[in-house]
Amino acid sequence: MSIVNYGTREITCKIVYYGPGRSGKTTNLQHVYSQLPEERKGKMVSLATDTDRTLFFDFLPLDLGTISGFATRFQLYTVPGQVYYAATRKLVLQGVDGVVFVADSQSRQLTENVESFQDLHANLADEGLDPRTLPLVMQYNKRDLPTREISTIEELDETLNFRSVPFFAANAINGGGVFETLRSIASMVLGRLSAPAPKGS
Amino acid sequence: MAADAKKEAEEDGGEFADFMADISKEIALRVESLDPSAKGKPEQKKEATPSPDAGVILEWENVADRMIEEMR
Repeated sequence: MSIVNYGTREITCKIVYYGPGRSGKTTNLQHVYSQLPEERKGKMVSLATDTDRTLFFDFLPLDLGTISGFATRFQLYTVPGQVYYAATRKLVLQGVDGVVFVADSQSRQLTENVESFQDLHANLADEGLDPRTLPLVMQYNKRDLPTREISTIEELDETLNFRSVPFFAANAINGGGVFETLRSIASMVLGRLSAPAPKGS
Repeated sequence: MAADAKKEAEEDGGEFADFMADISKEIALRVESLDPSAKGKPEQKKEATPSPDAGVILEWENVADRMIEEMR
């Protein structure tokens, strides 16, 4: 649950970037990190294999400073996309406030997108989270690839976006669509701040 | 020219600045409407006696107290 703590005047939100392997989840976080002013740059924790694929997860703490008297922090995570890291994905989803599903637009990756999206729903259900109400946005990444190699936005949306949530075309490697996506999920998560945190949280 | 300005803004962390501006607005709206301590803040108390010319009763609690007082 997102936390707005009126006692300590803190807001903390956890956002997870989910999607199949090599869809561009880490690239999203790297772009956000690259745009941070120096004074706000904390540490981006990224555990990668020799082939530059996320081994465990990426973690980017976004300390936004004091807003309206509240110390505001967004915690951005990615999950490892590869099928065999199922346990890690579950772990990272614990306490999630919002999910960005990063789909790979390449036509040949459509099945992987569908499988990953189903995996997301299964893991959310295991965590006791209702996938129908959890803030979710779709990002159709790699739109910069040649048209003949990628599915159209309409195809991707029809296949994956049955909840009709907000969706964004992106080419994260050049930064396109990254902040639009983040802004959308952040807004949805903040929209659910409806009650003070219980005592002691 | 416009493209150059945009590029420059991006180099200065413009994307992040825009994001911050939007988020700040959103948070300001949220916390002000939800703050549980706001009700008890003395500075937010309205005038005890509503002006007879105003035509609108602003302080319902006060009106109720006066009605009860008059019925005694």
